[in-house]
Amino acid sequence: MGKYKVKLDFFKLVKREIRIMLKNFSIIYSFSTFFVIASLIFVFSVNDISYVKIFYKSIVWIVLIFSIMLVSENFLNEDFNDGSLKELQFLGFSEESIMVSKSIAMLVMIMIPMLFLVPLVFVFFQITLYELISLVINLFLATPSLTLISILSSLFSVQLKRNKIIQFVIILPFFIPMIIFTTSTGTSFEGYNLKENQFLILIGIFFITLPVCLMAGRLIMREINK
Amino acid sequence: MIFNLANPLRFQRLIEKIEPITFNIAITLLLVGLFFCFFGSPPDYLQGETVRIMYIHVPCAWFSLMIYSIIALCSIFSIVFKHTLADLISRSCAPIGACFTLATLLSGSIWGKPTWGTWWVWDARLTSELVLLVIYLGLIIINNAYEDKSKADRYSSILAIIGIINLPIIKWSVDWWSTLHQPASISKFSSPSIDPSMLLPLFIMTFSFFFFFISILLVRVRGEIIQRKIEVIRFNRMV
Repeated sequence: MGKYKVKLDFFKLVKREIRIMLKNFSIIYSFSTFFVIASLIFVFSVNDISYVKIFYKSIVWIVLIFSIMLVSENFLNEDFNDGSLKELQFLGFSEESIMVSKSIAMLVMIMIPMLFLVPLVFVFFQITLYELISLVINLFLATPSLTLISILSSLFSVQLKRNKIIQFVIILPFFIPMIIFTTSTGTSFEGYNLKENQFLILIGIFFITLPVCLMAGRLIMREINK
Repeated sequence: MIFNLANPLRFQRLIEKIEPITFNIAITLLLVGLFFCFFGSPPDYLQGETVRIMYIHVPCAWFSLMIYSIIALCSIFSIVFKHTLADLISRSCAPIGACFTLATLLSGSIWGKPTWGTWWVWDARLTSELVLLVIYLGLIIINNAYEDKSKADRYSSILAIIGIINLPIIKWSVDWWSTLHQPASISKFSSPSIDPSMLLPLFIMTFSFFFFFISILLVRVRGEIIQRKIEVIRFNRMV
């Protein structure tokens, strides 16, 4: 019985996060707008479209990382400022479940606009269908790790009143391996062979990121609420 | 014995006794080591005189990893036992580690130009070492970002623990990926191994760097202890 109660509570928590996120629809709007404008800036900065075709994956990933990091700040700051982060812990939710629920909500928030934005990327960067499929698989496999790391980075900076750029400085090195593997997957994409295209590495990175981020998140949340 | 020294004040008294000794040993070994580096060891048959950069580069690279391991151990100790001295040591180690990492990258780059024909390659070993430098910088920034020092210590400990992931990547990057950087040759006893005439100055320089690191660390820890004392006095006056 107790087991089911815990399960139900966790889903309630996820539901709460998604509901809050959908209420603040402006976050999704600003995320999408930032993504499109930042991608366009890259396209405009290069005269020859053939270069854009080569670097489309890098551009998409860099823009995605920055947009996620900018959004993740809103996710935690509001909860910290109005005291609901402390309240959730007081109600008995574990730090891990809070972090996972926020990551799931953020994932939903990123994936919804992505469904609309990916065709735009397809048009802007003039990529082939294979490349587009590779990009979509990439996004689905790597975004969970990305959101977890972003949530962690905003946890680091939630108590900082000034100098929020620290958030980027601290956490950007941890994006480097992800950037390396996500951008290298697309270049050799032929057919749908998962093994050959290092997609499994992205899954592996997720399984490393998940426990590390949860452990670190738990420690930081305890420190925040002291 | 160890638990007695874990008290910052007792440790400060010990530092005052040890620090001049370690510094003198470091300087003596450095002078002997430099003599052997320039006059006591032959130039490499392939690399020529540029091989002498190795006597700086290799110890720096070892210490960049060793110092991070110390930070990580102190961080674990700090989180588990909440001990101030562990925080002080990890806080003091971060800038020293960053300097060693920077020295590794710079000396490697200077060696790379005549040997590889380029200052920098996006090689797995070089990239992971660069990531280590960025992590060190992150730790330094965190240490100075928060007004509450205990909070800063806790956050930097967490970041240091996350950063441990990078250490095995640096160590085994040359085995896991096909890199331009050569695999481990110092710890390798089978042929081709390093010549004893080159091994001697390398070890002297390593010991010299070790004592130099210890003396700098002790000075920094003493500085941190004094700074915290001043903060406590200021706080008491305000109250």
